[in-house]
Amino acid sequence: MNRSLSFDIFRYAAILTFLAISLIPTVWMISMAFKPIAEWQASGADLTWWPNNPTLDNFRFIFGESGSELIVALERTAGRPILASLLAASFGTLIAMGAGTAAAYGLSRFGYGGNLPLALIQLRLFPPMAVMIPVMIMWAFLGLIDTWYGLALIYGIVTLPFAFWLMKTFFDDMPREIEDAALVEGCSRWRVFLRITLPMMRPALASSALFVFILNWSDYLIALLLTTRDWVTIPVYMASLSSSMTGQLYGAKAALGLIAAVPPVIMGIAIQKQLVRGLTFGALKE
Amino acid sequence: MASISFRNVTKRFGETLALDDVSFDIRDNAFFCLFGPPLSGKSTILKLILGLEQPDAGEILIDGRPVSNVSPAKRNVAMVFQNLALFPHMSALDNVRFPLVERGIDAATIRARVSDVSDKLHIGHILHKPPAQLSGGERQRVAIARALVRDPVAYLMDDPISALDARLREETRVELRRIQQDMGKTLVYVTHDQEEAMSVADGMAVLESGRVRQIGTPEELYRHPNSTYVASMLGAPAMNVVPMALAARMQLGAGPAGAASLGVRPENLRVARGPGARIAEVEPLGGFTTLTLDLEGTQMRATLRGQPQFTAGEDVTLRVDEGRAHFFDGAGQALA
Repeated sequence: MNRSLSFDIFRYAAILTFLAISLIPTVWMISMAFKPIAEWQASGADLTWWPNNPTLDNFRFIFGESGSELIVALERTAGRPILASLLAASFGTLIAMGAGTAAAYGLSRFGYGGNLPLALIQLRLFPPMAVMIPVMIMWAFLGLIDTWYGLALIYGIVTLPFAFWLMKTFFDDMPREIEDAALVEGCSRWRVFLRITLPMMRPALASSALFVFILNWSDYLIALLLTTRDWVTIPVYMASLSSSMTGQLYGAKAALGLIAAVPPVIMGIAIQKQLVRGLTFGALKE
Repeated sequence: MASISFRNVTKRFGETLALDDVSFDIRDNAFFCLFGPPLSGKSTILKLILGLEQPDAGEILIDGRPVSNVSPAKRNVAMVFQNLALFPHMSALDNVRFPLVERGIDAATIRARVSDVSDKLHIGHILHKPPAQLSGGERQRVAIARALVRDPVAYLMDDPISALDARLREETRVELRRIQQDMGKTLVYVTHDQEEAMSVADGMAVLESGRVRQIGTPEELYRHPNSTYVASMLGAPAMNVVPMALAARMQLGAGPAGAASLGVRPENLRVARGPGARIAEVEPLGGFTTLTLDLEGTQMRATLRGQPQFTAGEDVTLRVDEGRAHFFDGAGQALA
């Protein structure tokens, strides 16, 4: 009895500690996003957990409205970077998932390719900086610098190994007999893939796509190097939110951070059911 | 509607020899059992018939026609997989009618066929459910319904009822036999359960590591096994195979020339009080009783009708039924 009680106390203490470590920064960001300038600039005893006078000024500011309390005028508003991030991350995810799923299916079912699977993941061992300089030169040559599709293309390439490896594991785990059954019952290879394999892979596709999307969505380095003005993404834009007079505009950054958190959270909620559902759920006998 | 023949078929998976020069004929309308331990090549034979795998050598004929260039869909053979392989994202109904929908059959015919087959297998009330919500036995029947719904030339079943409990298994196999006779189609049935094979098959092949050891009716194989391997695979308790030296202790002569071992089925061993062997164990099983005997350090089993009054430790004399002794040479091959 005693032992299990002390164990419970320890367990809950550990859980609370980890919760605090992961949640406090988020709570802090949310709180700061609604604080007026005087409050987020405060220090010492004036610093509060919750805004005393909650306001939407930070949001108005990054979208270029009034900015009454903030002394600086913004060079650019947040609308365009949000669009840039959405386009680049979504299409990047589409490219990675499309090519990755096709490659994973082929290699999982037909087993050719030698060391290709390993080589694909080994590409990720390079420090990104080592690859980015040549990419910059190529992208400049191709006229892809500072375009959302240029960014989407490199995102697709960079996250392809993740999409490939995640999907390959899922395909490897799918029982062959289900596809065999469809072949025997009158399907062509293509039809098996479209009617049986892909629908069965929906949970796998959803969770892999979310993972890849978050990678793309949170990229800073690549966007910093490949965009200059028109198509800077949220992280790059966020870094620029400072002024010589006030220093870092933490309130505005927090507001933008909160907005940036919305798409992944919505996607996560949308596919939650798929994430927890098993892959085969009852096709086979145990 | 179709006979199936293998002519010297060999199949390798990488380094593994899955089938080694296998030949056999399954006649039209037969209930044919492929019987053997795991990895003896039973499932490989089914995959070759289906066209999911191609033989490395030899030829496969369905209805006398070579099928090496015919795709699985065109071979018109239906299959119940060992793990059933139901489509998890479809309802039972969509699973059952899948073969018909894929072949572009009109809706009215599909409805008629589905209701026909679901009556036969008593699954009408569960057709709206996805496989995940069905019990093992129900999934089983849905998988069988998916195979029966169309009009193939032959049905293949890979140990489809192994997951059911003993009682349901017995019922299902009798029902399968009845359905097979109703439909009048060839059925190739893989099993590792000798009782199942013996009880339903018209013909069977006993396999061992990629080779066919013997083909015949269950009765032929039981009565005249061509090797100690086949002899030991069929019957429970298994045939007693003992050194020839013990033949005299069972009141048998020397046997044919070259005989190295003697095989006696437990039910062909007569037991009477007297000197010879000692009873080590008595297992009364109701209808019959199994004795474990110790004959000069060699263990033997005997099954007797009813509940004879023997107790462990008694000495008994053994005798083999007239003409029911099997003789094998040093390599385990049967001698005439």
